[in-house]
Formats: sequence, structure tokens, C-alpha cells
Amino acid sequence: MSDGVAPRTGRGPDTTEKNRLTFWGALSSWTPYRLVVGLATASPRRQFLILAAFPLLWVLTQHLGPMLQMLRVSFTDAYPVAPGVEQHFTLDNYARFFGDHIFWQPFFRTLIFASVFTFCTLILTYPVAYFLARHVSRKNQMLMLLLLLIPFWVGEIVRTYAIMILLGNTGAVNQLLKSLSLIDRPIPFMYTSFSMGVGIVYLTALYMLLPLYSALEKLPKSYNEAAADLGASAWTRFRRITLPLTLEGISSGCTLVFLISTGFYATPVLLGGPSTTVFAETIAGFFHVAGDEWPTGAAFATIMFLAAIILTGAFQKLMNSLRKGDTN
Amino acid sequence: MNRGNRILLSCVYWAFVLYVFVPLVLMVLMGFKDSKFIGFPIRSWTLDWYTGVFDDAAVPSAFIYSVVIAVLATAISVFVGTWIAVLLEGRKFLGRTAMFGLTVLPALVPGIISAIAFRIYARWLGIEPGMGAIVWAHAVHNVPFVALVVMARLSTLPKSQIEAARDLGADPIIAFLRITLPYLVPAILGASIFCLLLSFDDFVRSFFLGGYEPTLPVLIFAKLRSGMSPEINAIATVALILTAAIGIWAERFTRRMNKESRNG
Repeated sequence: MSDGVAPRTGRGPDTTEKNRLTFWGALSSWTPYRLVVGLATASPRRQFLILAAFPLLWVLTQHLGPMLQMLRVSFTDAYPVAPGVEQHFTLDNYARFFGDHIFWQPFFRTLIFASVFTFCTLILTYPVAYFLARHVSRKNQMLMLLLLLIPFWVGEIVRTYAIMILLGNTGAVNQLLKSLSLIDRPIPFMYTSFSMGVGIVYLTALYMLLPLYSALEKLPKSYNEAAADLGASAWTRFRRITLPLTLEGISSGCTLVFLISTGFYATPVLLGGPSTTVFAETIAGFFHVAGDEWPTGAAFATIMFLAAIILTGAFQKLMNSLRKGDTN
Repeated sequence: MNRGNRILLSCVYWAFVLYVFVPLVLMVLMGFKDSKFIGFPIRSWTLDWYTGVFDDAAVPSAFIYSVVIAVLATAISVFVGTWIAVLLEGRKFLGRTAMFGLTVLPALVPGIISAIAFRIYARWLGIEPGMGAIVWAHAVHNVPFVALVVMARLSTLPKSQIEAARDLGADPIIAFLRITLPYLVPAILGASIFCLLLSFDDFVRSFFLGGYEPTLPVLIFAKLRSGMSPEINAIATVALILTAAIGIWAERFTRRMNKESRNG
């Protein structure tokens, strides 16, 4: 396979001079290594436990740990705990959310915005994915997909800034409209839900495009041809065959994009205005003001995470039932 | 196929290409404009913004800081992610589905929530905001991506190769090191590049876990909050060219490796 790998010489320890010179050869004749291997191979069960212990510990402490700790802090009245202060458990942080419209308004706004932006991304990328998967030769497919991938390697902040330049009062769109004499004063695109939407769709489009593309690519062309032979129109073929059979791609793309767009912080701060404050800004506020209110921030983050999980779960369930309904 | 539809669809594709590229092209152009004022038209051109970037020591140091963080975080996540993938793709065991769910969890948690959770967790563990905290948060966040890529590659590994090695007397670890690991090299390299880019471009975790020293995205964000300036365009352009170049190179490289291993 590769040059660094010495040929296997047979049973038992490798003793040939050639093997000693390679990395793996040297390693396998190293005594501590032999001891570990001896321990590991003593029984398949013990060997499995050694293999499993580290990853298990990692996902429990590193993947689950932060979420659980956030949940715990959300029920406390003080965090970080100052010396001499006693920490109590309370539900006040959650009650605060319902008590003031400046908290729950951004919350619902975020969910509505994220749903709308997800839908826009779907509408925008479906024809693109369809074109790539169904109308382009295999050789060009990769090139044309790669062309779309390039900008998505560029980071969130840089791409947000690019949208600011595009949509600003002296930005490209306004200047273009002005030079075409369509407008005489700039349209205030920036700091609205529109500019935020353009930015977020720009940032998430790829996460929709790729699942759609792979779903459409897997779809056999013969299904459509058969339907055409039986007299189905293009629209009927799309509605009765292509759409139902790509629901899985739609479902995973929408879930991804929805979850990602609820989590944006910098983009709404830079592209949005005072009337488009999203919940991420509200949450961040609790960590940045003097006299940090971390427990409230933790409670609000928990509320948002639960809402996002419940909504995407319900959405996936709906898509599943749609899929089952179509096969019956 | 309907010819009209085809033309319409190809128009949509090219319009999408424009949507994706035009903002970036405009941003690059603005970095060469000979005026402090961002906006069109551009009357005269200059390279001053680029030379100015190097006079400001904050920019090169933020850049190096970001690169170091990305490299360290990638090394950790590749090690852990590969280990998890080998475990999950191996024999079936009780709780494997739960383990898989836990593995992908960090990739599904929305950015701001994950940043907050890490901030609280770091405080609990006594980790001070700064480089260590950022590396740790990036590494944990990138593990699912490595695990998924490596698992996909592992599922195509012919099991007979491992069985043959075992028959010839290799113990499981030797078999792993000599058969499985070399087979995984393309996936591991691809995942590493992906992690490097993710970590280098990450804003929200770097912002909430950073100390006084900013990473490059955090620096650009801070500069943007005090107003747009062509200097930001110059910095962003350099970052853009680097990330895109690494991305394109990695794409070609992994494609070539995949082709070779399929043929060979």
C-alpha cells in the first residue's frame, strides 16, 4: 500500500534486519510495546475494553459534559460562585424568560427567521442541485460542484463582511441600480432582516446543497423515463417521483441549516439592526455585561437548544411520515 | 429532456455561482481602492492597504496565533476522531447507537450554545480563557467530522486484508498499524485539512473562550465593529486566498489519493 510499510514476514516477532529499520518493525520489537500487546491480546474482551475506554471517556466528559454542566448552572442562582457566597438551586432563570418580552421576542424571532431562511435556502439550492445531478455530465459535475465549494471554505466573518460591501448604501447593488437610473437614493438594505437573510443563506447554502445533490444523484433516471413513457408531464414527474424520493435529502439539509442558522452570533450582530435582535445576541449579553449573569445565560441557551431539538425532531417525523405515505 | 427547462436550470446554476462569488470578488477589489471610503465607483488603485497590514503588528500575530490553534486542535481531533471511528466501525456492542449519537452531538449543537456551554465548562474545570481553552473547544467540536469521514473510509476496507494479516500471525495492533492505518491515510489527511479550515475560520468559540489575544476572525470582527475600512478588506483577502488555496489543494489531493487507492 505505501512504501513505509515493511512486508509481512510470517509468524511471530519480526526479526529480519529490514523490519528492524522500519518504524513499525522497530515498534513491534520494543519491549513495553510487547507488554501492552500481550495484555491486549490476552482476551478479546479485555482488548475491546482497552479500545473502548478512551473514546467512551472522551464523549462522556467532552461531548456530554459541557451540555450537562450548562444545564446544572441554569438551575443555580450564582455562577461563577464568589467566595463566601452560597449557591442555591432555583427556577428563577427560566421564569425570567417568560417575564419580559425583550427575552422571548428575540427567541421567537430567531425560530421564525431560521425557518424562513432554511426555506429560502431550500428553494434556492434545489434547482442548482437538480441541475448538477441530472443535467450535467459526470466529468463536469465534479468541476461545477467544486466551483461552488470554493467560497464555502472562507470563514463566517469574511463572508459576512463581503455581504456588507454588497448591500451597503454605497454598495454594489445600490450603485448598480443608481447607474441604471432605477433609483435616485440608495435603498437601505443593510441592518434589516433582509440583509441578515442574504448573509445567513450565503453562509448555509452548502449544507443544503450537498445533501440535496447526493439524494438527487442516487435517484435512478429510469424512474423518470418510465413515468414519461406512461404520459406523466414534467411537473407531475417532479411532484410524484423526484420530490418524494429526495425527501430524505431535503430533511437532512433543512435540519442542518436550521440548527446552524439558530446558532449564528456574529452575522446577525454585523448584518442585522436593532429590530432584528436574535436570541444568540440576548444569550451572549448575559456573558458580557458587568456582574455576569451566567446562570440566566445558561438557562436561555438551554431553552434555545431544547426548542431547536424539538422543532427539528418534529420536522424529521413529519418528513418520515410523508415518505411512508408516498410508498403506500 | 425538455430543452427549455434545461436552459432555465442552467441559468439558475450560474446565477447561484454569481451569488456565491460576487460578494467575495467585490471585497477583494475594495482592498485595492485608493480611498478610505468603502463603496463604488473605484477611481484609483493602490497597494497601501496591504503594506499597512504588515506595519500593524496585531494582524500578523493574530494570524500566527490562529494557525497555531488550528494545528494543535486538528492534531487532537484527528487522534480522537480516528480512535472513535475504529471503535464504532468495529464489532457491534451494546450502546453503539448511543455512542454514535454522543459522537456527533458537538456537530449538531448550534454555535452560540456550544460556545456558552464550553465557557461554563472551562470555568468549572478551572481552564482560563486563552489559547488552551480555544484549542480544546475547537478540538472537541471537530471530532465528529473526523469520526464521520474516517468511518466512511473504514466501511470500504476489505475485511479479508485484516483476516489475512491475522492468519499470518499479526496481533490486532500490528494488523491495525500495518493494514488499517495506511488504508485510512487519505481520509485522515482530508479530515485534517477540513479541521484546519474549520478551526482557522471559527469565530464564535474563539470569541467566547479567548483571552486578550484575538484570533484572526475575532480581530476582523473587532475591527468591523468600529467601522468598515479597506484595511479590513486587505486582511480578509489574505485570509480568503489562503483558505481557498488550502481547500482547493486538499480537494485535489484527496481525490487523487482516492483514485489511486481504488486503482491500486
